[in-house]
Amino acid sequence: MSRIDPGFASELKKYGARDFSACFNCGNCTAVCGLTEKDANFPRMLIRQGMLGQKEEILASRELWLCYACGDCSETCPRQAGPGDYMAALRRYAISSYEPTGLTKLIFKSNPLFILFTLLLSVLLGFFLFTLKPDHEVARWLFTILPYDVIHNMGLVIFSITGISVIWGLATMTLRLTRNKVKTEGSKNNIWKALTEVVNEMATMNRYKTCDIEEDSYWKEKPAAVQPWFVHWSIMWGFIGLLVATVLDFMLKDPATAIWWPSRILGTIAGLFLVYGTSLAINYRMKKVTKAYSETRLADWMFLWFLWIAGITGFWLEVSVTFSFDHLLNHLVLLVHTIISMELVLLFAFSKFAHAFYRPLALFFYFKNGQGNK
Amino acid sequence: MEEKQKKERIGVYICHCGGNISDYVDVAQMRDIAKNEDGVVVSKNVMFACADSNQKEMIKDIQGQNLDAIVVASCSPKLHLHTFRNVASRAGINPYNYTQVNIREQCSWAHSDTPKEASVKAAGLIRAGIHKVAYSEALENIEVSSTRAAVVIGAGVSGMRAAIALAKMGNQVYLIEKEKTTGGHVANLGKLFVTEQSGKSIAGSLLEEIKKITSITLFTEASVEKVSGSLGNFKVDVKTGTETLHLAAGAILVATGFDPYQPKEGEFGYSQFPGVITLPEFRELIDNSGETLIYNNRKIKSIAYIYCVGMRQTKGENKYCSRVCCTTAIHSSLLVHEKFKNVTAYHLYRDIRTYGKQEVLYEQSSKNGDIYLKYEEKTPPVVSQEGNHLVIKIKDELTRRQEMELETDLVVLVTGMVPRSDHEAISGILKIPAGNDKFYNEIHPKLRPVETVINGVFIGGSCQGPKNISESVQSALSAAVKINALTKNPTINLEPIIARVNFEACTWCGKCAEVCEYDAIHQLEMYGKIVASVNEATCKGCGMCAPVCPADAIDIAQYSNAEIEGMIDGFAQKVEISEEAGAEAAGGEGGITMKDMPQVWRRIASSLETDPKTIPALAKELDLNPELITYNLMTMNKYSLVEAAGMDDSDEYYFYKLKNLKHVEN
Repeated sequence: MSRIDPGFASELKKYGARDFSACFNCGNCTAVCGLTEKDANFPRMLIRQGMLGQKEEILASRELWLCYACGDCSETCPRQAGPGDYMAALRRYAISSYEPTGLTKLIFKSNPLFILFTLLLSVLLGFFLFTLKPDHEVARWLFTILPYDVIHNMGLVIFSITGISVIWGLATMTLRLTRNKVKTEGSKNNIWKALTEVVNEMATMNRYKTCDIEEDSYWKEKPAAVQPWFVHWSIMWGFIGLLVATVLDFMLKDPATAIWWPSRILGTIAGLFLVYGTSLAINYRMKKVTKAYSETRLADWMFLWFLWIAGITGFWLEVSVTFSFDHLLNHLVLLVHTIISMELVLLFAFSKFAHAFYRPLALFFYFKNGQGNK
Repeated sequence: MEEKQKKERIGVYICHCGGNISDYVDVAQMRDIAKNEDGVVVSKNVMFACADSNQKEMIKDIQGQNLDAIVVASCSPKLHLHTFRNVASRAGINPYNYTQVNIREQCSWAHSDTPKEASVKAAGLIRAGIHKVAYSEALENIEVSSTRAAVVIGAGVSGMRAAIALAKMGNQVYLIEKEKTTGGHVANLGKLFVTEQSGKSIAGSLLEEIKKITSITLFTEASVEKVSGSLGNFKVDVKTGTETLHLAAGAILVATGFDPYQPKEGEFGYSQFPGVITLPEFRELIDNSGETLIYNNRKIKSIAYIYCVGMRQTKGENKYCSRVCCTTAIHSSLLVHEKFKNVTAYHLYRDIRTYGKQEVLYEQSSKNGDIYLKYEEKTPPVVSQEGNHLVIKIKDELTRRQEMELETDLVVLVTGMVPRSDHEAISGILKIPAGNDKFYNEIHPKLRPVETVINGVFIGGSCQGPKNISESVQSALSAAVKINALTKNPTINLEPIIARVNFEACTWCGKCAEVCEYDAIHQLEMYGKIVASVNEATCKGCGMCAPVCPADAIDIAQYSNAEIEGMIDGFAQKVEISEEAGAEAAGGEGGITMKDMPQVWRRIASSLETDPKTIPALAKELDLNPELITYNLMTMNKYSLVEAAGMDDSDEYYFYKLKNLKHVEN
């Protein structure tokens, strides 16, 4: 039997769930949500669990990751309890709880710490980057203070910590999700079927397309290319495309200089999508076009701006490389591009970015359990 | 009983109600059937009996043909009984020599599928009405003298407020309080919802005001011993200390209030675990606490409120909802939040009923982070003790009925209102009835909410049922106004439809007094023997006494044996309705003729005959007030005599044209 923990609500508020105490359990949010189903009941049930402090239930929830934060529920909430923002906050809480270091907790709960940490990390990465060119003038000056090996190894350690944290997070989440036996009416699916469903969802965003499609929706008459699901799709696939292109470049050990190389073409297209998606998302959040875009935390800004800067600097470099502009400014841009990209990767487990691997995992178990079978 | 002169010059009017009746009931045959009854000298069909023109016609008939009784067969007496009583009065005959027969609600509307049967039933009812009116007596309204004084029982906020109102309207008021102090439960309350004024100060200021008004006499530690007399002239015996006072009053207001529900031993751990208290006890604790909330030498950091304690019992005695407790509990929680900070509140409720403006309290409480858990009556929360704490197990309806437990320092049982333990004392003395819930009953919960079945006895405040302070005061003030309406004139006019005793036949067996629910029949010595006497002010004319009288010495005015038997005779006669005549009368075909209509209608119709007109055009042409035209035109529209025919050029007024008028006769 679970014991009610009344203090948990104030803990959640630190993650950005501000008004959810006003909820009076009417269930409007669940009713209006296009993604809820008979055996997938949210946001109301998750709000309830948050109010009563049922942490284990929340961390074992698959439903938490079904939500794309369209904000439909917040629009229609009769008590202005902000169920959409609550769901986002709960995901921040979950990301913080899955990874072992406690770092995410710190940066999500405190903006100054978040900024400080990001800056420190970028300085450290800057140093680390110099170790790749040990004969550079600045690098030589650095090594008189700190030995080359120390800096280089520290960088590697940081990368390892990230990697381990991701694996740890995925493992804890898997444990919790498998322990959560949700009774469903439909039959269970095998692993392949579930995997196909996950990949299908990632490729098509079909579930996201059902979000906020009411007659009076802001997006109803808008072309698909500017709709939230496509923005999300562009950012996600843009980033994945760039990651693949970078890895290919790295594996070939010969940074491709010719623009028609397949990995370069992939990188260019992916970069275009990334910049397009992030530009729109930033624009929407600045203009607060809908309720979903009106509550932006520092974590959201940082994530979007980092992606955008990485994309824009990437193109800058592409142009410079193509026309062989060897200029100090370009070196600086390269430095920024690399630091930002590496920060994104390093904060993979500790930032909003983590949803990129938690959501597919949750979806996998959701489909495997036969939830959401039509 | 003196020998009655049967009425021999009766006028009967059969109303068409513009087709409402005549479309189904064969009104022409009704007229002929009525004409053949004994004593009927006038029998007519009328388009609208209630129309001004027809009323004038009736007066002309009554006076011209020397009629002595009239029958109108039309709609329900609820609608026009007084209309035609007035017609009778104006024509110079007694208004009680009039009988209304309901052939609309009871015949044409009820049996529209079977018009022939509707006609048969209407004929029976009309004959019954004619036979009844033939035996009708002329009656005069009863006049009762009244004392300009009122007794108010109970000096809580309701009683005190009503006493002040009554006194200000010019009544002498006797305010009787059982306790030593006034103000009732409210006097014990601290801060109250909305104004934040304390109950203590409300009760205090009322007492101050009462002290200033010389026409209010307040008796504390006093009790009502006996009440005799009736409306206008009650005698109330009040005992104060060793003395018994005899007070005279025109009316009585009962404002005796309620008792808070007292939980049984062990109910949710009450009087079993320390730290389980009732809501009134908790309010006192809040009011008496300083900076910190301390109970039993322990600082209280969490409170669980269990709602509906002793209320809404589907199987128990108290089936009702006390309506004030949800708000009181939530308001308490807000007070605690404001006064002591950082106290966790759990609300274990069945349904939240913070109706009206009180809803904002509920919302505020949620925003404060109070935790709401919903339980079902059949799975109530279970309170137990674990070390220093109380632990409650609850199946939360809002979380998939999951069983959960919570730890708390204090359990507050949100108890409601029950009737006063001594409620039977007052209801026994005043003979006012109580409902299944044992609260005193009004006559009609919506339409006569503060009157009781005893003339002159009123109820106000929570003795009638759970109410909050403002609702209590509202009902008490409404009763005060009702009382003043009775006492402000030296005499009170009452309908004469009451029981009457034939003193010659009566041998006083007491059976009538036994069955009388209003205590209106008493012994009286007359002509050297004991007979039954009816109190005219108390009698309701219910008729319970008449059938139990072995000597047949009691009857009810307007319902005498002769009248009732006459009705039965009239109704029991065979009715012959011929089919073909039915078709003719059934509206439509013949249409409505001009001469059946009120004068204004006739003028409107002749004007519309030439071409459709708007209301202003009609008003101008007929030189009548446009409002009068509108009223009459709309009624004609309702009865399908006219219809709209497009709008005028400025899109402002509709044109109207004739619809069903076929034969236009001028």
